[in-house]
Amino acid sequence: MTGYPVPASSRGIIALDENACTSCMLCARECPDWCIEIDSHKETVLEEGARPRVVHVLDRFAIDFGLCMWCGICIEACPFDALFWAPSYDHAATEPAGMVHERFDLRQWLSEVPPGTP
Amino acid sequence: MTWVADVTAARDAGAVFFDFLTAVDLEADGFEVVCRLWDPQARTEHLLRTRCTRTHARVPTLTGVFAGAAWHERAVADLFGIGFDGHDTVPLLLPASFEGHPLRKDFVLAAREARQWPGAKDPGESDADLAVPRRRRAKPLGTRDWSP
Repeated sequence: MTGYPVPASSRGIIALDENACTSCMLCARECPDWCIEIDSHKETVLEEGARPRVVHVLDRFAIDFGLCMWCGICIEACPFDALFWAPSYDHAATEPAGMVHERFDLRQWLSEVPPGTP
Repeated sequence: MTWVADVTAARDAGAVFFDFLTAVDLEADGFEVVCRLWDPQARTEHLLRTRCTRTHARVPTLTGVFAGAAWHERAVADLFGIGFDGHDTVPLLLPASFEGHPLRKDFVLAAREARQWPGAKDPGESDADLAVPRRRRAKPLGTRDWSP
């Protein structure tokens, strides 16, 4: 983050904890702006002494901040605490496609999330 | 004409600050026009409502009570297609060539019809899985159901 200092609790951008995300699609369905795109696939996990179980593996998680209106409904909706507000705010782009941030961008902002954020 | 009389009475009783006027589309029950007034002395708010039908979407104007209601009524006329008796509502927000009233519930949002809803995918699915026909798929709110 650069430029003017803002409080750590600012609603600057949305960060994603990929390890907490279960690809449940709830955020994408609740989003009023349709700005969250999620792709995932199923994998069967085989563990000794346990029955095979199917898990969802995240392939793509993208938020189009050109559509986002910073309402925070996705963060409220997430049952697994995978989405957080991060204070970073300088995300201007020279073209609309530059406003789409993929999971690797969203993950990097996780380090800015203030501790103790619910 | 109790709408104008009630707003006038509320203003004369101290609610002298006209905050806003807007409308709610109640679909089969017509439209509700809502007006919020503020009493700066008593620090109380007054929400006044009136109704009109869809077929005769007209209510009396409040511009005689609060001149500032003019812009709000012009916006409501644009966005809800409600007429105001006694007020020639010049379009405020929409271009003259615009057809329809975008805040009516039956107004079709073209962008929502043209684009694939990201929530249509189930957990464990990607875009390619949407090509597979399925009896039940999650549907977005606020869009028309095209199924027969």
